[in-house]
Amino acid sequence: MTVHEIENKLIEGIAAITGRLPEEIAADRPFHDLGIDSLGFVEILVFIEKSFNLQLIAADLTRKDFENVRSLAAYIAGRQ
Amino acid sequence: MLHSRRKRYLSGSDWVINTLDQLMKRATCAGNMSQIVLPLAGRPDEERLRAALARLRERYPVLCGTVARDWKLAPYWKIPSRARPRDLLQITPLGAGGLAEACAQTANRPFPADAEHLAFHLFTAGDRSALALAFDHRLLDARGAEALLDLLSRSLDGEPLPEAPLFASSAELTRWGEKFRAGRNVNRRIIALAGNAPRALPLPAGTGRAYRYRLISCTPAESAAVTERAYREAGYLMESPFLLAVVTRSMHALHLARGTAGSSYLVPVTVDLRPGREPLQELFFNHVSYLFYQLPAALGADLPGLIDAIKIQMYEQIKSGFPADLARASLLMRIAPLPALGRLLYLPLEGKMASFAFAHLGRSGYRAATFMGTPAENLFHMPRVPVPPGIGFFCNSFNGRLNLTMAYLDGLLSEAEADLVEHGIGAELTGGAA
Repeated sequence: MTVHEIENKLIEGIAAITGRLPEEIAADRPFHDLGIDSLGFVEILVFIEKSFNLQLIAADLTRKDFENVRSLAAYIAGRQ
Repeated sequence: MLHSRRKRYLSGSDWVINTLDQLMKRATCAGNMSQIVLPLAGRPDEERLRAALARLRERYPVLCGTVARDWKLAPYWKIPSRARPRDLLQITPLGAGGLAEACAQTANRPFPADAEHLAFHLFTAGDRSALALAFDHRLLDARGAEALLDLLSRSLDGEPLPEAPLFASSAELTRWGEKFRAGRNVNRRIIALAGNAPRALPLPAGTGRAYRYRLISCTPAESAAVTERAYREAGYLMESPFLLAVVTRSMHALHLARGTAGSSYLVPVTVDLRPGREPLQELFFNHVSYLFYQLPAALGADLPGLIDAIKIQMYEQIKSGFPADLARASLLMRIAPLPALGRLLYLPLEGKMASFAFAHLGRSGYRAATFMGTPAENLFHMPRVPVPPGIGFFCNSFNGRLNLTMAYLDGLLSEAEADLVEHGIGAELTGGAA
């Protein structure tokens, strides 16, 4: 999967989790700006495991890598 | 699916809340209620506020509903066609005990009738004041109560109140297989939890006791530092696991001092299940479920160890769909009469249902920074925690300020023990004693 395809898949999943429309989720908008809290973020991590077969809960979850769709997609691409 | 303004079927979560309400009325001085407090840097116009509350009550007769059962035994909220007029606002000048004492009194004051679920108090002191909204959890959960206060505030700023919602609900007397499968998953989890004796504080003897409160309120700078520390030590957006770990470590110090028996801490944590699409449909009633954490007492003093255990357990429960299963499975319990259900809830862990309760509401549903043009200095919650455990911690954020309220049944802790827990948490959140 390309980084762009990963981004689109993430946007789809995050829209479903947050009850927002996909077009409301800009790839560079921080998740905390979207009102996502710990619970929502863990739901995103579960979505990532189901979609990309990557379990990330035990990772460092640094802000740099996990703050928005763009950085998260790059992180996932690097782990595949 | 029923669409009605006069009848709204209760969900499984609503029924659990009703059961806890009955247990609490039996064991303490009031039911399953809570209170939001909004300290204000000014004094709003009392008569304008009184009139707005009368309009709110008139517009939403759901505020005066009662629980009933239909012929299939499914419980529902019976909504009158009109609300009987009643003055919802009480104005009280603050006495020598100050805001903390006045708020603790109103947080523990039962509603005057079964169809009354809200009370507003305006505490005044010179040119300052505080608005307190006491609410019945059978009608509103914490986020819903904040949203109701927001609706009131916006109406006072000139926005028209939306029409009373046409409630979409269902008796949920179909798809039993799905509910029983959810029940089986929940049952497995409860059996697993029951395998480890949780540490719990013995409830004080006697009934009719009130709750006592301690509030730790961080400044915006302290709150930002807590967030940064949570991101650093627990991970991005992991404030909830961090705060729960801080509270657990402080409770561990208390249990160590008491020499309590038991090998773990069992902590129910409220989670919000709102999909966020229909704000008014989701304003009233309960849209919550629970995660259950079992934290080994051996990790009690180890903050990184607690954080890791909480994160892993949170992940596993969400991955297995436990909160949704619990909400679905609790639909099965609605046929049971409330007293029987109360006993049923008590059985699996022999009354030691939890060590303490925890909730983290995060960002506030009250969006304004003012109320009636007066700056709102803060917004915090004062819940009455179900018994057992009779002690709980509630975190919320308002305008960049983190608040943590400790609520406990009078007599459950000594003054020195409450100080110990409060200072333990305060030292972590504010960098010093609270």
